[in-house]
Amino acid sequence: MTARALLGLAVANVLVLGTGSCLLWGARGLRSWVDLARLSGFAYLLGVAALGVALSLELVVGVPFGLATIVLTCVALGLAGLVAGRMLGRTRPSRGRGQGRGLGLVAASYAVLVVVYLESLFRAGRLASLSNWDGWAFWIPKAKAIYFFGELDDQLFRELANPTYPPLVPALEAAAFHAMGSADVVTLHVQFWFFLTGFVAAVAGLLAPRVPAALLWPVLLLVLVAPRVVSRTLEPQADFLLDYFFALAALLVALWLVEREPWQLACASLLLAGAILTKREGQLLAACVVVAALAASWGTRRSAWPRIALAAGSALALAVPWRIWFGSRDLTGELPESGLLGLFDHLDRPWPALRSVVAALVDYDLWLLVLPLAAAAIVLALVGGARILPVYAVLVYGLATAGFVWVLWSFTELELPFVQDEGVNPIVRLCGSLVVLSAALVPLLLDAAWRGADRAEREVA
Amino acid sequence: MSKLERHLARIRPTLRSLDPRRDRKHGLVRLGVAACVALTAALGPVYWVKAVDRLGDDAATNASANYDDREFGGGNSLVVDKNALYEARGLIPEDEPYRVVAGPGVDGATELTEPHIGEYARYFLMPRRPDPDARWVLCYGCDLSAFGDELEVVWRDELGIAIGRLRE
Repeated sequence: MTARALLGLAVANVLVLGTGSCLLWGARGLRSWVDLARLSGFAYLLGVAALGVALSLELVVGVPFGLATIVLTCVALGLAGLVAGRMLGRTRPSRGRGQGRGLGLVAASYAVLVVVYLESLFRAGRLASLSNWDGWAFWIPKAKAIYFFGELDDQLFRELANPTYPPLVPALEAAAFHAMGSADVVTLHVQFWFFLTGFVAAVAGLLAPRVPAALLWPVLLLVLVAPRVVSRTLEPQADFLLDYFFALAALLVALWLVEREPWQLACASLLLAGAILTKREGQLLAACVVVAALAASWGTRRSAWPRIALAAGSALALAVPWRIWFGSRDLTGELPESGLLGLFDHLDRPWPALRSVVAALVDYDLWLLVLPLAAAAIVLALVGGARILPVYAVLVYGLATAGFVWVLWSFTELELPFVQDEGVNPIVRLCGSLVVLSAALVPLLLDAAWRGADRAEREVA
Repeated sequence: MSKLERHLARIRPTLRSLDPRRDRKHGLVRLGVAACVALTAALGPVYWVKAVDRLGDDAATNASANYDDREFGGGNSLVVDKNALYEARGLIPEDEPYRVVAGPGVDGATELTEPHIGEYARYFLMPRRPDPDARWVLCYGCDLSAFGDELEVVWRDELGIAIGRLRE
C-alpha cells in the first residue's frame, strides 16, 4: 500500500464519477449543482456500470486493455452523455440550491454514524490481506491476466474455476491495478470501499427527497452494520457489486412504476446490464426485477410493458457478446449439469432446498432483522392501501427466493440440507442481494404504508 | 409557550395519526410502521458500535502485519515457505512459463498444500504462465530424483521445496 496507489485509485474513481455525471445529465438532466451533489453516489455507480459494461465489451471484441483504453472509454462515455443531453435539450445545472431541503436533525445524526462507519471500514480495508478463497483462486487471477496480458486469456479462463463468470469485475479490478500502478491486491480493497460508499450515497440521494429521513436512515444503517456486510463487503470479488447494481436497478424500477420518469428505466437498464455482466446470478436477479415490474404494471400494461421490454432487451443485448465469447470457446458451467429440466428427477430436493434458503435469509448472526423487516414493510404497505410498490416488492423478493431454491435444487452436486461456512456459502451470498435490496426498498415501502398509498395514487388524490 | 410545549405541539399531529381509535386500519398500520422504525432505530446504533469496534480491531491487526502477510493472505493456510514463492518470482523471468510439481514431501504442509499450491502459484506468480512442459520447475515436496540429471536446482530450502530449470 502506497500513497501513490491510493491517490491513483482516488483519481480513477473521480474520473468514473465524472463519466457517470455526464451520463446522468444526459439521461435525466440536473437542475442545480446541489442536485448533482445529492445524486453523486448514483452518478458514480452509473459510471461504474457503464465503464464495466463497456470494458467487458471491449475485451470480448479484442480491444487491447490498458490505461489509454480505460481513459478513452471514460471520455467516450462522458461525451455520449453530453451529446444525449444536448439532443434532449437538458439545461446546464444552475448555481442555486434547487429544491434541496438540507439535512434535518435525524438525517444529520445518522449521516454522522454512516460516515464514521465508512471511515472505520476504510481503515480496516486499506491494509486488508487477500484472504478469501474465490478472490485469489479466480477473481484476482482473471484481473491480473487482463492487467498483464491486456486481453481475455483463453487458456487461463479455461483453467480457472467458474470460467463462464462474466469479466466485468476482473476488468474493473484490472483498471484499478492500472490506476494504482501495480497489481496491488492489498490496496485493491479500497476500490470496493468506493463501490460501497457510492451505493450508500446513491440510495440516500435517490430516496432523500421521496421518504422522510426517519424511515430512510435507520434502515440504511441497519443494513450496513449487518455482520456479514461488515465482514465481507470489501472482499475483492463480485458479490456485493452485483448486489449494489441489482438493488439500485430494482429501486429505479420501483420509482418508475409510481413516477414514470423515462430516465429511471433507462438507468435501470444500464444497471441491470451491469448486474448480468457481473455474475451469472445477475441474470436470475434481473429476470426477477423484470417479471415483477411486468406484473406490478398490469393495470397500465399497454403503455408500460413495451417500455419494460425495451429496457430488459437493452440490458440483455449488452450481455450477448460475452455469451458468444464463452460459447464459441466451449466454456461450460453456466447451467446445472442435469440441464434445465433435469431437476424434476430430484423431487426430494426442493423442500430441503427451501429450508436451507429460508434459514440463510433469516440468519440473525448474518443479517440481523433486515429481511423480517422487509416482510413486515411489505405487509404494512399492502394493508395500508398501497398496491404497486408492495406487489412489486413481494414479487422481487418471492421470485428471487424461488430462484435461490432452484439453484440449490438443480445443482445436485450440492448436498442438502446445505450447510457450509458463510465465507464460501453460495446461498448466503445470494441472500445478500435481498438484504442490500432492502436498504433501498424498505424505506419506500414503509413510506407507502404510512401514507396509505403509492406515490402515484397519492398525487392523483 | 414553553420549549417543551412547542416540541409537543410539533409532534402531536404525528402521534395523533398513530391512534387506532381515530382510523382503526390506518392507525394500526402506522403503529406498525412506527414499531418497525423504533426497532430499526434501536438495533442499528447497537450494532454500529459493534461494527466500528470490530473494524477498529481489524485495522489494528492489518496494520501490525507485514506486507508479505498481507500479500499472502489466504495463502498463509497452504504456503509453507513464503520465501520459495518470492524466490520463484525473482528467478523465473516474467515471460517464461513454469510448472508446479507437488508432492507429499514438504515439512509443515497442511492438507491444503499439495492439492492447491499450483492454483496459488498461478495467482502469485502471474504474469508467468503455468505450462506442464515448462523448463522452470517449482518442486513443492516432489521427488527431485524423478528428473535425474536434467534438472539444475537453483534454489532449495530445508523443508523440501526447490526451484530448478531443466537443461536444454
